[in-house]
Amino acid sequence: MRILSWAYLAAIFVFIFLPVVVLVLFSFQDSRLPIPPFDGPTLKWYATVLADRNMMEALANSLLVALISAAIALLLGFFAAQGLSRVKLPGSVLMRGVLIAPMTVSYLIIALGLLTVFNNLGFRPSLWTTGIGHVVINVPLCFAILFAAMGDHQKNAERAARDLGASELQVVFLVSAPMLKPALLAAYFLAVTFSWDEFIIAFLLTRFDVTLPVEIWSMLRSGLSPATNAIGSLVFLVSIAILIILELTVFRKSKS
Amino acid sequence: MTADVSLQSIDQYFGDFQALENINLHFDAGEFVVLLGPSGCGKSTLLFILGGFLAPTSGQVLIGGEDMSRVAPKDRPTTTMFQDYALFPHMSLRDNVGFGLRMRGQSRKARHDRADEMLDLVGLLDKANHKPHELSGGQRQRVALARALAVDPEVLLLDEPLGALDLKLRRQMQEELKAIQRKVGTTFVHVTHDQEEAMAIADRIVVMNHGKVEDAGPPEDVYLRPKTLFAANFMGDLNRLSAAQPARVGDYIECVRPENIGPAGEVALGDAILENAAFFGTYHRCHFQVLDEVKTSYVAHLPIGELPQVGDTVSLFASNVVTLEVTE
Repeated sequence: MRILSWAYLAAIFVFIFLPVVVLVLFSFQDSRLPIPPFDGPTLKWYATVLADRNMMEALANSLLVALISAAIALLLGFFAAQGLSRVKLPGSVLMRGVLIAPMTVSYLIIALGLLTVFNNLGFRPSLWTTGIGHVVINVPLCFAILFAAMGDHQKNAERAARDLGASELQVVFLVSAPMLKPALLAAYFLAVTFSWDEFIIAFLLTRFDVTLPVEIWSMLRSGLSPATNAIGSLVFLVSIAILIILELTVFRKSKS
Repeated sequence: MTADVSLQSIDQYFGDFQALENINLHFDAGEFVVLLGPSGCGKSTLLFILGGFLAPTSGQVLIGGEDMSRVAPKDRPTTTMFQDYALFPHMSLRDNVGFGLRMRGQSRKARHDRADEMLDLVGLLDKANHKPHELSGGQRQRVALARALAVDPEVLLLDEPLGALDLKLRRQMQEELKAIQRKVGTTFVHVTHDQEEAMAIADRIVVMNHGKVEDAGPPEDVYLRPKTLFAANFMGDLNRLSAAQPARVGDYIECVRPENIGPAGEVALGDAILENAAFFGTYHRCHFQVLDEVKTSYVAHLPIGELPQVGDTVSLFASNVVTLEVTE
């Protein structure tokens, strides 16, 4: 039985990580096709990718869009959560529902909707429109995480701060936000990774300046190459880095 | 600092529900006032009106002679010690206690000195750099008190602060609260439903029920000479004399406390038989039945060592009899 459960564990991990391992492994492939047998290792594909100006521009664009759109989504989500948790308005429940609803809509539908709206308004597809699209998908996420983290505990501490003479701004910056720090960081990094990985909205709402997933997609159209594996590995590395930062900063602290 | 408090014709409605009805009270500066009553009697509502978390539907709140009825909590000379303490979990005790002074723009040095002084007052100076989650319930309580007192309020409001503590710790905290109040001289307004707690700490007890003040005065007056039957019942056990007929609203009945019934006194109750007795440490709680047609029963608290045998017949007398109107 014991062996069986270990075998099961191993099988699960192989199932989850095999594609990633293969991707990373063949990024070190020496020949021109990322297929067995493995004849590496070499770093030349990484050199190719890092020297590719389009690719590096796309990477910078992606980072820019992810960091800024996540920050805006976090801010909007925080204000919405703060308002809806504090004040009982008629229709609070409905408002909460409407705020979270976009999470259930597929990115393709959201992208088509945004494309139509931007066309009618006369906005050209650009990094800006992509950024707006990413704010749209990340506000519900940030709102849901932050709203769930605000309890009576929080409300009482805010009331105590007001009683001790804090203005509304001081309440937000000195009490609400610090108390929510773990949730704020978690929401921000999740929003960053969602934006970083996002393809459909970015594909439909960009034209000349593209984000990394769109650039990788156009590279894939010209066929497989270890270079795509190399860029894939780099993207994976960034995601892992974010995860490790998150683990070290947010989750470790909230455990102690 | 300290100030007197006047509540003038306070009414509070929540929709159609009247939570407070025509409250008129005056507290002297430096008094320890306890608002006492069952849950839902409006005592916490009244405290929230004092603190500014709720604006009264009508009426006025005067603190130190100034009208505060519509002034926000942060601009009032009051601070509140909340039921769940509401400490800031991300700040050290020193920063928690110094928070109010920081809001008042005091320098770091000044507020740290004051915070240390307040932590010393509540006996937690050695934990100044700890976070609230490292403390026990009683210690958090003390930090909340220190934080509320650090800004030197004229009136301190305490919303059932001892409710979450066990009995022994509660008694100890009552004594500490009383001692600290005497030391700082601030007017304290304390809400509780525990009448023993009220008598232990109050200079003045306000008994409330259904949004109205039933009685207000020093503990001895409220206990020994209550103004209403409700106040009398809420403060402790009560015997009705001549309870033959059921009392109707508007009737006046004579009442006496169990410890005021015994073998000697002002009013003769007749011969009674001791039915049973229980030992309560500081007294015997005895059930007597009078040997007359209506068989009135009385509960008496007899001093230790003066207990007759169960089944014995004794002549009972009552003293400190009060006459009260039946209102409900």
